[in-house]
Amino acid sequence: MSVDDSATQRGDVTQGDVGQDAPTHGRMPGALAWVTNRLGMEELMEDQYNRIVPIHATNYIYCFGGIAFVLFIILAITGILMAVYYQPTPEGAYQSVLNISTTVQFGWWIRSIHKWAATGMVLLVVVHMGRVFFTGAYKRPRELNWVSGVFLLMLTLGFGFTGYLLPWDQRAYWATKVGTDIAGSTPLIGHFLLVSLRGGENISGATLGRFYDLHVLVLPVVIVLFLGAHFWMIRRHGISGKL
Amino acid sequence: MTRGGFLKWLIGGLSVVALGGIVYPILRFLKPPTVSTATIGQVVNIGPLSSFPAGRLTAATVNARPVIVTNAAGKIVVYSAICTHLGCVVAPSGSELHCPCHGSVFSAAGTVVHGPASLPLPFYSSKVSGGSVLVGPVTFTRASYPTWYKGQFA
Repeated sequence: MSVDDSATQRGDVTQGDVGQDAPTHGRMPGALAWVTNRLGMEELMEDQYNRIVPIHATNYIYCFGGIAFVLFIILAITGILMAVYYQPTPEGAYQSVLNISTTVQFGWWIRSIHKWAATGMVLLVVVHMGRVFFTGAYKRPRELNWVSGVFLLMLTLGFGFTGYLLPWDQRAYWATKVGTDIAGSTPLIGHFLLVSLRGGENISGATLGRFYDLHVLVLPVVIVLFLGAHFWMIRRHGISGKL
Repeated sequence: MTRGGFLKWLIGGLSVVALGGIVYPILRFLKPPTVSTATIGQVVNIGPLSSFPAGRLTAATVNARPVIVTNAAGKIVVYSAICTHLGCVVAPSGSELHCPCHGSVFSAAGTVVHGPASLPLPFYSSKVSGGSVLVGPVTFTRASYPTWYKGQFA
């Protein structure tokens, strides 16, 4: 095809001759190298590959944030899978969760992974925060990354709070009752928060709909934006110095 | 084959196995659970009327599922012995049915005497023909029987 020819003629591809091996090619499989070359991404890839991890940062305590992210990926995959069978209605929610756990093949496996990864992610995010705090990694110029991290902690807890209602069993109902009561005790705007979360004065199908919306639509979009900012800033700042 | 080449193949092979271990359950998960209706509609002869004495609760089997046969003065009623609470098999005890798992008690008519079960035992259609008891499909008289419970009869 003439696509790459015309691109070369326009000068859009800045890497020089198409097909000429850039230094990164030796480390990439052929197809990936081909795509990288056609998109003119050699410089970008080279920059990403040539990051040197400081020797003090090879300690395992620097892994917690990455592990939390891996758990997030696992939660996204298992969550998308469960959304195939889950029904966010007061009549169907509990039955559909039972259906996932007892009838759907490997449903118990997917749901258990989701549950444990969720528990683990909250734990790992908090431990990661502790690592950043105790190594002083929040200090200038990384203050904004700490702030984005606090938002990510809140988003993670938001996922936990909204996801807890979805099985629609007694534990879910009463946990959400207590949780939204706490929001309702906020001075001045308490009642507004309470009815906004519940979609009414009491926990009902409206609450389930709102929590489901937050859990599978709103929070995922927001957390991906914050994760993007968080990782971009890590690249801008580099890994923080030694203690 | 060089040692390096062998290790490359080994790591590649193990990676494919590991990936398969993730992809295979996901594909199975996405496959809709099939509820076989092949055995539900069959009429089964569970034996002569004389093997179900009047006034007694008798355990029997229909399509490999446990059932309870009641004989009230020649009127045969058959219902499932699968407890509606969590699926254990209830056993006749005097004029009642006791679940060994969580203590649910059902009456001789299949209704709940006390919980934790909340739904009555579902009935099988049945008739006496030529001195034999014939048992047909199970019917769920209420929509509220959960999916997992109905699945016990698939």
